[in-house]
Amino acid sequence: MHVIKVENLSKSYEYYKKQSGLKASIRALFRRKKMYAKAIEKICFNIDEGELVGFLGPNGAGKTTTLKILSGILHPTNGKAEVLGYKPWERQKEYQKQFALVMGQKNQLWPDLPAMDSFVLNKEIYGLSDKEFKKNLDELANVLNIKDILNTQVRKLSLGQKMKCELAVALLHKPKVLFLDEPTIGLDVVAQKNIRDFIKEYNRERKTTVVLTSHYMEDISQLCKRIIIVNLGKILYDGQLDGLIKKYAPYKLLNITFNNSGVKRYEIEKYGLIHKFNQFNVTFKIDRAKIKETAIAVLSSDLPVDDILIDEADIDDVIRKIFSSNKID
Amino acid sequence: MEPTDRFIFMKKYLTLINTTWQRALTYRFTVFAYRIGEMLEIIVLIFMWSAIYSDQQLIKGYTLQEMITYILIGNLINVAVRNWLSESVSRDIKNGTLSTFLTKPIEYINYMFFREVGRISVAFIMSIISQMIIILFFLDKIILRFDFLCLLLIMAMIILAFITEWLISYLIGLIAFWTDEVDGIQATASRLRKFFAGGYFPLSLLPTVFVNISFALPFAYSFFVPTQLYLGKIDLATGVKGIAIQIIWIFLLLLIVKTVWKKGLKKYEGVGI
Repeated sequence: MHVIKVENLSKSYEYYKKQSGLKASIRALFRRKKMYAKAIEKICFNIDEGELVGFLGPNGAGKTTTLKILSGILHPTNGKAEVLGYKPWERQKEYQKQFALVMGQKNQLWPDLPAMDSFVLNKEIYGLSDKEFKKNLDELANVLNIKDILNTQVRKLSLGQKMKCELAVALLHKPKVLFLDEPTIGLDVVAQKNIRDFIKEYNRERKTTVVLTSHYMEDISQLCKRIIIVNLGKILYDGQLDGLIKKYAPYKLLNITFNNSGVKRYEIEKYGLIHKFNQFNVTFKIDRAKIKETAIAVLSSDLPVDDILIDEADIDDVIRKIFSSNKID
Repeated sequence: MEPTDRFIFMKKYLTLINTTWQRALTYRFTVFAYRIGEMLEIIVLIFMWSAIYSDQQLIKGYTLQEMITYILIGNLINVAVRNWLSESVSRDIKNGTLSTFLTKPIEYINYMFFREVGRISVAFIMSIISQMIIILFFLDKIILRFDFLCLLLIMAMIILAFITEWLISYLIGLIAFWTDEVDGIQATASRLRKFFAGGYFPLSLLPTVFVNISFALPFAYSFFVPTQLYLGKIDLATGVKGIAIQIIWIFLLLLIVKTVWKKGLKKYEGVGI
């Protein structure tokens, strides 16, 4: 069953054109030209129950706009979207009780109070019973390891602790759908990993549908089987992560370490395209079909081979390539 | 609404009031510090009027005793009806916190109403206490009147004035939907409000036309009108008429708030703050 259905969804933002300079500013007071910027254009995708889907794209690609439409903050300019059978922008209470939105850059906890107070407030907003509240809070506090900090003023928490509390408060009402907008932004590596592990575990156990945006490749590659890549308001790729690599990187990386005095560039050029070179370590980009025979050829040569490694192309490189060529098919 | 629903509804907002109470208590020192300034301002006003009255008995029908009563009772009423809502609303809109509310099963206007009730409660109590202290100091200089019907009318007027003031502040806060800078508008608006309310001096010092106009506007009911009632300078019938005007204003303001909110939200969605 599709939990999220999006069809030809478009959104344009209004803005006013203004030239720089004082004269233009004064002129703009009287006559302004209304312009439209397309944030997303005819986006289509479906997401099934329990899926964990990653939205990947550079700043301004349309990730956040999509999430904002799905959580009912924005009206689309055109097209259809349905989550759990509801039109999000109608903002029905029944729908709002079934999803949660966490934005890495916007907090919903009251900074001047302990997180616990915001939890109690949310309990009432979502109409949870005392029993439900206690049970859910205990579980979340345990898994996220935040029991000791619930009574500390939120302002005094570290960024990582804050994010954990933000997640907990958003999950109190056990949403069926969870939207995460840049949940790891600004966090250190350890905190990032903690958040990531939690999301992964939560999705696996509860079968909660999770849609996540990030521009950290790590987030996406660690968490999501399926990724949707957007750039300039359009979907460039929607599918499995491995599929992406196969599609956009028709090569693998062959990494060879040499010992003794190493090698010279001209000695190895005949084996294939050199991606990285130094005397003791060389990486080739080799066609998938030819990778085995190339490896054998190198091994059976009289070069001082110490170690040999066949690897998938670096996902960051692949993505960068997609964004820079911006190819759509 | 079912009884249980209503209970949940009330509980939701009681919790909100409770939460804001706690926040305000966290800043009790700031709240206290503000009160010192307020008290000083009133004392300065009393000294000023005492000096002006030193060579005359009556100014536009006011004796010194009446003037001091006007200042003290008026300010006591004013601290009960005021709020700082405009800043909260404009901040929520400007930095996009409003988005969080749009995704939750709670109405923003209700949320803000009860949040403000909780937020100002500490300042409210402290202000009332500090005003009472000043009144105690000048007890021999003010007029004390205990007319039950009159006090009842004043109470009703204060409650309605609280709602009116709240709606006006909310409306001013909503300007943030259209402009990036709201501080200037807010400061100007708050001065104008204080002037029209008679917060600087009794409106009766101005030409009669002016007093008549201010009776028709919502501002005077937060200071001037209830104080006039207390001083017995206007009769109960005029007071009742004033309450009717207040109720009309509340409906009018609710209508305006609703329209402006709808338009503003459309704009908010348009630019995607």
